Amino acid sequence: MGVIVKKVELTWLDRTYVWPVLQGMAITFGHFIRNLFTTTPNRYTVQYPEMKREIPDGYRGLHELKRFEGGEIKCVACFMCQEACPARCISIEAEEFSDLNITQGFQEKRPAKFSIDMLRCICCGMCEEACPKDAIWLRKDYELAAYDRLSMQYGKWDLMNTYSDADGKAHINQDPTPSVPRRTIAL
Amino acid sequence: MDKLASLLHTSPATAWMVVKVIIVFSAVMLLASVWTWVERRGSAMIQDRIGPNRAALFGKIRIIGLAQLLADGIKFFFKEDLVPAEANKGLFWLAPFLAFVPALMGFAIIPFGRSFVSGGVTYHLSVLDPGNGMGMLYPLAIGGMAVYGVLVAAWSSNNKWSILGGMRASATMVSYEIGISLAVIAIFMSANGYDPSDVIKAQGHTPWTWFVVRQPLGFLVFFTCMFAETNRLPFDFAEGESEIVAGFNTEYGSMKFSLLALAEYSHLMTASALIATLYFGGWQVPFVKDPTVMLSVASFVLKLLFFAWVFVWVRWTLPRFRYDQLMHLGWKVMLPLSMANLVFHAWRMSQGH
Repeated sequence: MGVIVKKVELTWLDRTYVWPVLQGMAITFGHFIRNLFTTTPNRYTVQYPEMKREIPDGYRGLHELKRFEGGEIKCVACFMCQEACPARCISIEAEEFSDLNITQGFQEKRPAKFSIDMLRCICCGMCEEACPKDAIWLRKDYELAAYDRLSMQYGKWDLMNTYSDADGKAHINQDPTPSVPRRTIAL
Repeated sequence: MDKLASLLHTSPATAWMVVKVIIVFSAVMLLASVWTWVERRGSAMIQDRIGPNRAALFGKIRIIGLAQLLADGIKFFFKEDLVPAEANKGLFWLAPFLAFVPALMGFAIIPFGRSFVSGGVTYHLSVLDPGNGMGMLYPLAIGGMAVYGVLVAAWSSNNKWSILGGMRASATMVSYEIGISLAVIAIFMSANGYDPSDVIKAQGHTPWTWFVVRQPLGFLVFFTCMFAETNRLPFDFAEGESEIVAGFNTEYGSMKFSLLALAEYSHLMTASALIATLYFGGWQVPFVKDPTVMLSVASFVLKLLFFAWVFVWVRWTLPRFRYDQLMHLGWKVMLPLSMANLVFHAWRMSQGH
């Protein structure tokens, strides 16, 4: 289908070229003056290290492994996230734990190791979607640079403490020993 | 001045000359390097950006990015100075100087303030005193030399894109110099002389007797042609990143490139000074009959800076012309217009105006 292109008829004033040039220069001068009297924070550019954009809800940044209030990890090492991960950056080693199995006769599962290779992670959020326990969240941190490759391997305790400061939680570096059962199974 | 002269074992005239040369050329070079910053910040503001504002002295003192000049200079000094293997090495080294020196030399004739008498001696505030016989012909001739630097840079690089840029620049220069010359001849006729002091005297201190009002057509032609002469957008055919890589300075790097860039800005300063002198009354202060020396210098510098700013402003407003449009404009529009301007003013003079 052809489109008939309308040819713009220039007036004699436009054909002199001088008047349109002056119009254009008025526009650029307007921009110049406006920017000259606008302070830097009020301009369009975000001056990055000093100013940061507000991160919208639903942003997928650095992961956090959630914990219960007592500090127990929510993750049950079901490997759903590891399976879902398209970049294959999650690796989990599960362990059985409990002192409850003696008293109550069942065992729980938790990750002994839970590491995310941040060099491979594409922050797609599939792990968050796959998790049946809501144990892994992708949150708002995006400045994940490091000076060496090893620093980009986030382990279990790194991931559990990623947002500790932001949320005002305590840094933890070992699994608390549960003293009371979280759920009671009627035997 | 006498004290300084006896200190240096020279005559006062020589000392005065040396002082003038140092002041004028260092001022122009300083302005030219500052203008690289003005161009970058100005363009940023025109385009709603921020521009270079990070460079800081000792990592602390950010003077709205002015330290960028120093940073650039240091960077250029310490970069590797590459000469292409197949280049004509002698000319390759010579070209930046051939571009830079004429750009500065043109400024020598421009009076940047009114002459004054001190101790029975008249001091003229221009490097070449009035009545030297060259007058305004000198900057025009030197301006024609400026394209030589571009062409030699292009030729010696032994690069087809460079040579295309150089050829285009020289063709532009040839086409537009005719327009400039005819526009300036109309001024010479009205001013009854071609010495810059004559031209300034003929314009007087009232803005409506300046040549921009008396010869608006001539001003339009001269102003447009100056953009072609200085190789600035919209007529910067020596360069053209979308067509011929970077044009004439494709093969240049480090200090030689810096010198070519500085040459462009010095040329811009000279062109602004010419526009101010020929059409805007030079050092004349509007509505002040006999300004003091400092006032006249300030007036001239203000005009100079304004037109230098206009060069920047126009560059970031208008896109580059196509080459055939440039030739069309030069030969079919600018030349007839300046011719008509010349004939009109000749006719007016014959009618006794």
